Amino acid sequence: MRLFGRHDAHEAPHPLRQIKLFSTLSRREMPVVQALRHERSYLAGEVVFDEGDDGEAIYAIVSGEVEILRHDGGRQQRLALLAAGEVFGELALLDQAPRAAQARATADCVLVVFFRADFMNLLETHPKIASKIALSLARHLGGRLRQANAGQRQDGHL
Amino acid sequence: MRRLRPSGAGPLAWCGILLATTLALYLFQQVLWLVLPFLFGLIAYYFLAYPMQRLMFAGLSQESAANITVGVFALLLVGAFAFMLPRFAAQAVGVQETGMRYLQGGLLLLDQTLRALEQQSRFMRDAHVADAVSSYIAAAGEGFAQNRLPSLMMSVAAWLPSMLLAPFLAYFFLRDGRRFQRFLARAVPNAYFERTLHLLYEVDRTTRAYFQGLVKLTVLDAVCLAAGLWVIGLSSPLTLGIITAVLAWISFVGSVIGCALVVMVAATDFPGSPSIAYASIGLFILVRLLDDFIFMPLTIGRSLRMHPLITVLMIFVGGAVAGVAGLLLVLPVLGVIMVIGETLSIVASDPRLRARHAHARRLRWQAVTRDL
Repeated sequence: MRLFGRHDAHEAPHPLRQIKLFSTLSRREMPVVQALRHERSYLAGEVVFDEGDDGEAIYAIVSGEVEILRHDGGRQQRLALLAAGEVFGELALLDQAPRAAQARATADCVLVVFFRADFMNLLETHPKIASKIALSLARHLGGRLRQANAGQRQDGHL
Repeated sequence: MRRLRPSGAGPLAWCGILLATTLALYLFQQVLWLVLPFLFGLIAYYFLAYPMQRLMFAGLSQESAANITVGVFALLLVGAFAFMLPRFAAQAVGVQETGMRYLQGGLLLLDQTLRALEQQSRFMRDAHVADAVSSYIAAAGEGFAQNRLPSLMMSVAAWLPSMLLAPFLAYFFLRDGRRFQRFLARAVPNAYFERTLHLLYEVDRTTRAYFQGLVKLTVLDAVCLAAGLWVIGLSSPLTLGIITAVLAWISFVGSVIGCALVVMVAATDFPGSPSIAYASIGLFILVRLLDDFIFMPLTIGRSLRMHPLITVLMIFVGGAVAGVAGLLLVLPVLGVIMVIGETLSIVASDPRLRARHAHARRLRWQAVTRDL
């Protein structure tokens, strides 16, 4: 347990603008979302979340890469390789179902994390911001569904 | 992938939760001068959080919104204090006299009731119950006034400055609450991160729901009692309703004191008709039943999701360990410790989380020793 913070604790927070989910937010709205974010560092090979975990948060990649894996029997199948700017674990925002796949860092990476309950609270306190994010999320899921239908990626069920 | 998923806190964890609650109550009793301002600060925080959020949405930063919210709240408090103080000072002597009058009225009613019972019961008459109770109350009152009252007044006077901490605490909860939450979450290893976020959320949800439930319960109690007292015909029904509803924050003892207060007022206002006082007692029992079976489950009970047997048991334990403070604090403390204990026991008994943490530590060790 790190009681006195991390070495990057005093650095400026990474801008959220580069993350697609928040790209439609205005300058006035951005600080509200910034206040909700958590920032985490993962080393290459570290598990971000496991298949079967309770989904409590959505992740966005600030730097590095994350692969999405599914274990089918004894076989491990890579569903997607995600880079900076992309989000994963997004279904945690919509329901409380267990994670459908494992997320693992393939390179050292920095992730910003948003807790589902904070988003639910945002729906009540800042419905305009929440609806913008929900619209981006719907577009994002639609894109993934189209890709999955085209057979390019199979990660539309995170 | 199949996971061994722990289902919840086991009997050992529950023993730990009850033990930790008892210990916390004992420790809180020792630093009550700090715990009470903390409690009031927390109530003010949950009360002011919504207007602060509205200000933030209007474009203000969290710090500015907290400054304005607490500033306006403090001004209102100072204004109310400035308005009330001269009136209270002018009536201080009157308040004391009124208090003594109501006390005498209550004692007279008790004496009349006991004497009426003595006429009905030979056993009570032979035992001289009315005389014995009257002399006991007189002795206890004298002993209280001589021995306990000065020290009680001194300790209340010593506490008053520390109560000024409450608005300061509320201000820092509002301004830095989320920052502190992030600070705590940052201290947790990646493997336990999501569970910790959930834990912090649950602790916040439980305390928020408890205090909001408490305020709702107080309003419901106050309205019911005030309406009932107004129907009975007592003077100042709203004031009495509010005072007794706030006294009910102290489990069991508070309700008894509130009931005694109303009965004293009824006995003094209507000295010739004890039926009014009995009607007040009936009203109190009715509101108490409404409270226990309807209002409490709808407000506080729902927020704590606690078995009624454990609640009652812990109220007795709280009273035995920490007196009135224990009765006041036992439910919120138990609610928070229950959430923490359940989550910790689930996390500690999840082998996959422990394995992930060990794996992450190995990776970190390899990363820092790579070029050595």
